Amino acid sequence: MRAYQDMVFSTAARLAGNDTQAEDIAQEVFIRAYEHFSDLRTSVTAGGWLKTVTTNLTLNYLNRYRKRWRLFSEMRPASEDSDAEAPEMEWEIPDTILAELGAEQRCAIVDAALRQLPDHQRLPLVLYHFEDLSYQEIAIKLNVSLTKIKTDIRRARAALLPLLQNGGAARDTLDG
Amino acid sequence: MSKHSDSEQKLERVLTQALEGLPLRRAPGTLEARVVNELERRAALPWWRVSFAHWPAAPRVAFVAVCVALVAATILGGVFAFVGDRSFNEAAALVLSWVHPFLAVVSSAGGVATLLVRIIPPLWLYGGMALGIMLYLALFGLGAAAYRTLYLRPSSVGDDL
Repeated sequence: MRAYQDMVFSTAARLAGNDTQAEDIAQEVFIRAYEHFSDLRTSVTAGGWLKTVTTNLTLNYLNRYRKRWRLFSEMRPASEDSDAEAPEMEWEIPDTILAELGAEQRCAIVDAALRQLPDHQRLPLVLYHFEDLSYQEIAIKLNVSLTKIKTDIRRARAALLPLLQNGGAARDTLDG
Repeated sequence: MSKHSDSEQKLERVLTQALEGLPLRRAPGTLEARVVNELERRAALPWWRVSFAHWPAAPRVAFVAVCVALVAATILGGVFAFVGDRSFNEAAALVLSWVHPFLAVVSSAGGVATLLVRIIPPLWLYGGMALGIMLYLALFGLGAAAYRTLYLRPSSVGDDL
């Protein structure tokens, strides 16, 4: 358990954007792992199994609360999901971001920024950048259209950039 | 390639660089103790308090057997109570005797509906249907408004981008 607990907790925390929920999910993951202990003990894919179970349990956890509202959340005008209607970004994109910071500092800023994103943006973004899933795989996993996934990830990136820049600037000020 | 698309690609590249290779978050020190405590709590539960899949084999078999026996007894009891000492033809006739009144009721309801359609002016009928549709849409709109007002976070980061 000790070998995998950071990985399980990180996956759940970044997807859920909430440490308390992540701890609950991680607990359930390890209880399920205990139930499959005889299979996992000698398996070389135990890490992958734990990661998959963590991802699925987190999505189920979040789904439980958003399912009843899905009907209305998908009533948005088609233009909101359209690539053509995506707004221009109004700020300059730097060549690098947080590059001057250490890994721990970067981690703290990124996780704080992720927590500020709404679920429908954070989930696909984390699945894409941290879990290395393709747009198509994310669309299937979240049961939404491919177009919506692309739009949400694009918006999530646009929202994340200023949060990371502000986080980095604040850290520089504190350090200076 | 448009400037818009170029900036999106640049943003993806910059964020990928920022997000890749991040260390894992450290799990809370209490996690291991929580898992152990929960496992102990679940292990201490009597077998009938856990899910059926985790019951011992003997109670599971007994439970299934009892359920099958109960279902069979209910069905057979119902059949015997209904048929009693009648012959098969008498039982079938009894069933059919219930079908005729039912069909008569359905037929009468159809007749009443046809009569109403003839009596009520078409304008009233269309008006009633339009009112029903409007009420349905109003209810749907109220639900959507309630969702947007009560559930959606007004300051969701990036929603306005």
